[in-house]
This record gives sequence, structure tokens and C-alpha cells, in this order.
Amino acid sequence: MIEVVCNDRLGKKVRVKCNPDDSIGDLKKLIAAQTGTRWHKIVLKKWYTVFKDHVTLGDYEIHDGMNLELYYQ
Amino acid sequence: MGSSKKHRGEKEAAAGAGAGAAGSSGPGTAEQAPRHREHKKHKHRSGGGGSGSGGGGAGERRKRSRERGAERGSSRRGGETEARNGSAHGRERSQVEPVERRVKREKRDDGYEAATSSKASSGDASSLSIEETNKLRAKLGLKPLEVTAVKKEAAGTKEEPVLADVINPMALRQREELREKLAAAKEKRLLNQKLGKIKTLGDDDPWLDDTAAWIEKSRRLQKEKDLAEKRAKLLEEMDQEFGVSSLVEEEFGQRQKDQYSARDLQGLTVEHTIDSFREGETMILTLKDKGVLQEEEDVLVNVNLLDKERAEKNVELRKKKPDYRPYAEDESVDDMFKPRSILAKYDEELEGERPHSFRLDRGGTADGARERELEEIRANLRQQAQSLTMAGPRLASEYLTPQEMVTFKKTKRRVRKIRKKEKEVVVRADDLLPLGNKTSEGDFGSRLRGRGRRRVPEAEEEREAPSQLPQSDDTRVENMDISDDEEGGAQGPGSPETLEEDQVEAELQKQLEKGRRLRQLQQLRDSGEKVIEIVKKLETRRSREEDEDPERKGAIVFNATSEFCRTLGEIPTYGLAGNREDQEELMDFERDEERSANGGSESDGEENIGWSAVNLDEEKQQQHFSASSTTILDEEPIVNRGLAAALLLCQNKGLLETTVQKVARVKAPNKSLPSAVYCIEDKMAIDDKYSRREEYRGFTQDFKEKDGYKPDVKIEYVDETGRKLTPKEAFRQLSHRFHGKGSGKMKTERRMKKLDEEALLKKMSSSDTPLGTVALLQEKQKAQKTPYIVLSGSGKSMNANTITK
Repeated sequence: MIEVVCNDRLGKKVRVKCNPDDSIGDLKKLIAAQTGTRWHKIVLKKWYTVFKDHVTLGDYEIHDGMNLELYYQ
Repeated sequence: MGSSKKHRGEKEAAAGAGAGAAGSSGPGTAEQAPRHREHKKHKHRSGGGGSGSGGGGAGERRKRSRERGAERGSSRRGGETEARNGSAHGRERSQVEPVERRVKREKRDDGYEAATSSKASSGDASSLSIEETNKLRAKLGLKPLEVTAVKKEAAGTKEEPVLADVINPMALRQREELREKLAAAKEKRLLNQKLGKIKTLGDDDPWLDDTAAWIEKSRRLQKEKDLAEKRAKLLEEMDQEFGVSSLVEEEFGQRQKDQYSARDLQGLTVEHTIDSFREGETMILTLKDKGVLQEEEDVLVNVNLLDKERAEKNVELRKKKPDYRPYAEDESVDDMFKPRSILAKYDEELEGERPHSFRLDRGGTADGARERELEEIRANLRQQAQSLTMAGPRLASEYLTPQEMVTFKKTKRRVRKIRKKEKEVVVRADDLLPLGNKTSEGDFGSRLRGRGRRRVPEAEEEREAPSQLPQSDDTRVENMDISDDEEGGAQGPGSPETLEEDQVEAELQKQLEKGRRLRQLQQLRDSGEKVIEIVKKLETRRSREEDEDPERKGAIVFNATSEFCRTLGEIPTYGLAGNREDQEELMDFERDEERSANGGSESDGEENIGWSAVNLDEEKQQQHFSASSTTILDEEPIVNRGLAAALLLCQNKGLLETTVQKVARVKAPNKSLPSAVYCIEDKMAIDDKYSRREEYRGFTQDFKEKDGYKPDVKIEYVDETGRKLTPKEAFRQLSHRFHGKGSGKMKTERRMKKLDEEALLKKMSSSDTPLGTVALLQEKQKAQKTPYIVLSGSGKSMNANTITK
């Protein structure tokens, strides 16, 4: 279980607990549940790398405590 | 994110707290608000705290997010009260009951409060607890979290780094070694267990030495066998009872059949030629290597044979045979069914090697019968084959061989004579009599004569050389004529004029016929042959005509046709077709017989017509000459002849201004006439809409009242002085205007000069020298009152003043 921090720099910052084998889509759902947006409106990025929905966190090597940028589309 | 946010956060936090109070589920929610505010005061980044409090706040947050609108008011109110309360017991640490998860956090940070608010303020991150997360995940359809809480706790976070455990490399290594040892021991144990079952050589069977034991053993074995047999029998009986025996047999029978035999080799390919297998020799064939994924069928090869073939191929390659033989003719009859392809040497490279192979048929055998048959066929064909090479070219001999001489037939000369027109042919009835007999016998069939003609064939063909024509009537007649001529030549030129009309007519007819037939014959004959004949004839004729030349020169032939044609007059189109270039040559009899024969009768008329035509031509030429012989200077009209003459003279000199034209004549303007005869049409002006409207697009007709109007259009061009322009000058003017630039300095000067000269010419006195000598003369005469002048003295003294005495 890892905890990932998602920050959108506009006031929304959430810490989401998830498994490393969760996909980004699942993570987005969790984030959506916590932030109150819709999950398919969320875009997770790190600098210019857009995290795709079908890849797992482990494959992206997202470890515990990493910061992800939260954007909306 | 200024302080305003903080305040908002506070409010929200308070609200959150209030809501939490309203629907409180967690234990320490009331404290959370003051804790939060404390946290705010301390200005701690709430990263770690947020996550810790996530568990508590998740539920409230969710609820709040759904019922935000409704509850806000109430919660805020509640929050405020709480806030007030909270500040009171904010400091009370003892009341704080940390949740297990938050133990460490409490230790770390006294005033630290996990935020329950969902709205993350600048440093605040909301988080859910594990249970809440799991609930959420279950709702979303995800599997629950894998909890490795201890590890996580130990690692700490970015904000609160924890001292990592010291990694003891020695200890690590020792642990590794131990593990290895253990693993090895385990393996060994297992092996021993396995091997322990097998009897080694060292262990002797008890019955080997001891016969009694052996006997016992054998008895035991026997018993077991019997038992087994009995069992089998029982089983069979049972099977038969159940009707399963057949099935069982089948099953067992199948296994027998599965044994591999020669039959199973049917259809396999062997990748060698059948010839490489010799009788009585055994060769072991193995499966050829092929790729794992290849699905092709198996191919059998012999390894040794393969190697041998490869070696042979290499030897062949090393021999350096010529690659490309462009003229190699496929003479072998063997490969009659192999199509010849272009650039066959690349086929192997492009398409891959195609080795010879044969298939095994039933029973796994193969016989070379078919191949042997093919070979036999090939051998037969080779024997039957005919070589297509022809005998090579050999030098042609210049002389005929004796064989050729036999077949060679001497061509009989065709003695032909051109009809001599001057030579009178006195044909009498008596002469015609013998001729008549002959002609009746002769073969009139023109077909035979005509079409039977072929070119002189080669020696091989056995045909009579047709160069020997059967004597035609014409030739015979001519011969007759000639003989007559020779005899009657002595008569001389005196007699020609005594020709009678009817005889001439008959002759004309005969000549026409002959001409026609001759023409037919000659068309069918070979030109070469003709040439030969003609040459021969020419020679004969020349020899003969040399004698007759003096006779001919003096003769003039009159005959009715020629006279008639002469009197006819000229036929306007006669001779214009352009075939009359050899009119003059007709007179010359050293010509081809063809032309003369063709000319036959017509030549008589022709030459006369030509004669008359020539006359006409001469006349025409004379006329032309007369027309073109206008003198450049007109005859000067004598002034005292009359007014008309004077006027004419004046007109010619340009002294008069001919204003016969209409009154509305344009006076020559100073500048050149602007576009009197042309205009540059600006087609672009048509395009605007409004002008288009004006134009008439309907049906136009000519004016009825102007039906008979046929103006005499005469386009005159004038230059700036009013002079009429020649077409050349007019065009020059036009082009100057068109191009926008005139001539250069030189050109204009020349033009001016020319104009001046013309003007001068016009002004020139036609009756006087340019210096006015005549006028002076007349003055002097008047002065002297004598009709003569005395020329004396020097030039100086001769002027008007000195003239007067």
C-alpha cells in the first residue's frame, strides 16, 4: 500500500492510499471520490509526462509519497 | 493563498468540525477542530497529519460533499460555537485520545491536528483512512489495500525523515551464506532419499549365493505369474460378459499397428536423384534439418550424399564458366519441356535452390522406372534430331560450273525495233498476207503470255527460261517492217509525202494495238531483264541507226493526225499536267523503246501539239514582255498640246492639289493621326455589371434600306504631311504607334532625306536642266535678240548682267 499525494496547485491536495498494482484509472477514481470531481475529468501529470489510465502505478514506478500534479481536462 | 484562504480554511474546518459533530462517527472529531486551529497557529505543514486523520474525516467529508449546500449554514453555526468551545479546550492535551494510527504523529507534533476538512488549504492535504479507503475501493470495485503499514510507518515521509536502519553488510553476508548452506543440505537430503531406493552393485541379492533363497524366489515369481494370468482371464471373462472385449482388443490391436514400418514411409520425399542410389547398396537416410516453426513436410537426406553434392557444386563454381552466353542455342533435345528463360543464371539466386527429389510411393519404395523411360525417350530424340545449321557461306565463283552450264539456257534476243516515225512504212496488202497466216497459228491467249511470265528462276528450277518470249505479233510485224525498211530504204525521203490516208489509218490502229500489248508485256517482266534486253537492243539499234541517221535527218513527217491537231489550236490545259518534260526527247530516237512504244501513235500528235504549244508559249512570253516594258519615266506630255496635257503634267509634278475627294476630308493633323485605322480594344471594360446591361444581346439584322449598299472600300493611309502612304510606310507608321516608339536618329534622317528628294524630284523642271540653263539661255537670247548665243570668254563673264551688251 502506498500513499500518493496529488496536488493541483489551486488548493486541492489529496493523499490517496492505493496499491502499487492499481492502475492510474483506479487512482483517478479514488482521487475523484476524495476531491469531488469526475474521474474522467482528471489528468495526472508529472512535468510533461501524462500518466495513462491503463498502466499500473508500479509500472510507472510511482512509489510511496510521490507527488503527482493534478490537472483537469 | 493568502491569509484569506487560511481564514476560509478555518471556517471550513470549523464547518467540517460542526458537521462532524452533527453526524459524528469518529471519536475525537470535536477535538479535531481546535486541533486544526492549533495546527494552523503553529503553521505546520499538514502533510503527514492529513493522512493520519484521513480515516476520521473521510466519512464526514463524503457526507459533507453531498449535503454541502444544505448543511453549510447549520454546520457553520455549529462550527462557530465549537470553535469558541474548541479554543477553550484546545490546550487540553489529556482530552486528546489519539487513534492508534495517530500515536506517532502525536508524539512528533503536540499541536498537530489532522485536518478533517476536505477542502485542502494551501498546505493541507486531505486523506482517508485505510478503512475508509477500503470501503471506497469496494464501492468502486477495486480490491482492498494491501496493508504494509509497519513498513510505511517506519519509513516516514519526506517531511519527517526517520533515521534509517543501519545496514550491516557482514550480517547480511552471513545470512546469505547460511541460507545457501541450508539450501544445499536440503538438496542433498532429497537426492539421498531418491537414490536410496536404487540398489547398488554392492548390495548382493540374497538368493545369489543361497540356492534355497533362489528357489524360493523363483517359486514366488511363478506364483505371481500364475496369479496374473488368472486375473487376466477373469478380466477377459468379465469383459466378455459386458461386451467390452472387442473394444479392449481394439485398443491393444491399435498399439500393434502403431508400430512403425516401411509402409509408413509412403509419400516422403527424398532429396536426391534416384540415380544416386545404386543397386545393392544400403544408404541411411535421415530427416533433413528444418526450422522449428516450419510446417513443411519432412524430407529425407543422406548426409554423405549431401556433402558430396555440395563439393561438386563448389567445384563447378570454381571452374569459372562463362556466365552469359548470348548466342548459346539450346540445341539439346533433352530439355524439350524446359522453357528457356531470360537470365537463367539468376534463377537460383532469386528463387532459391531447387534440388532434385523424388517421392517414395506405397510401401516406402521408389523405382527409377519413370526416369529411365524418360532417358530412353531423350536418347531416341537425340538420334532423330536434325541439325539446323545450314551449310556455311562459301565464296561464290565467278564462273559457272559445268552443272550450271547444263541448265543454263541461252536467252534468245528479242529483236525489237522502235517504230521510226520519219521512216515511212510502206505496208502493202501483199506484205500482210504471210503475216496473216502466221498470226492465225499463233497463240493469242494473252493470259498465257502475260501471266506465264515469271522472273528468270534459279538454276535449280527446271523451267525454261522465259526470257525467250514467244514472238509477238508486234515484234514479228516490226521485223517485217524493218526488213521492209531496209529494202525500201533506198527509196529515200522522197516518198514519205505520198502516203495515202487509209493506209495511214490502218497503221495508226496497228500501232495503237501494239503499244497496248507491249505495255502489258512489259509490265509483267522483270525490270532487270528488261534492262538487259533494252541494253542489248540499244546496242543493236545504235549499230543500225548509225547507218540510217543521215537518212532521217532530212525527213519531215506529215500525217493527218498531226495536221488536224495543229489546226485545232491550243488546248489550254494541254501540257500542263507536267508529264511533257520529254517532249523534246521524242525527237531523239536513241531512247528507250518503252517510251517510244508507249508514245506510239500519240507521239505523232504530241510533237505537233508540242510544237504548237511552244509557239503559244512564245507568244505568251512576248506578251509578258510587252506588259512589263513600261518605262519608268512617262513620256512627257508636251505642254503646248493642250490644257489636258498641261494639267496632267502639273498633276504628275505635284503642283496641283487634287481635291477631288469629299469635302469632309480630314486635314492632316500636326501630330500623327490617332488610331484612324485601328483601335486597341480594352476588353476588361466589358466586365463591369452596369455597362453589361447596356449592351444589346439580341438578334440583329441588316438594315432593309441599305440592301443594295455595296461600298467601295478603299483604305488610304496618310502621313503627317498629307502624303499618301505606301503599304510599307503605312505599316511602319502603325507599328510605331503600336510600340510607342519611332525610328532612331539615323532612320528618321534618312527618311527625311528621302522625302526631300522626292519633293525635289517633283519640283524638278522636266524641260530644263537643274541649273536652269535653258531659262538662262532664253534670257540671253532675249537680251541679245539673236537666236543664238556666242560662247566665248570665261565663265565669269557669262551671266545675265554681262550678257547684256
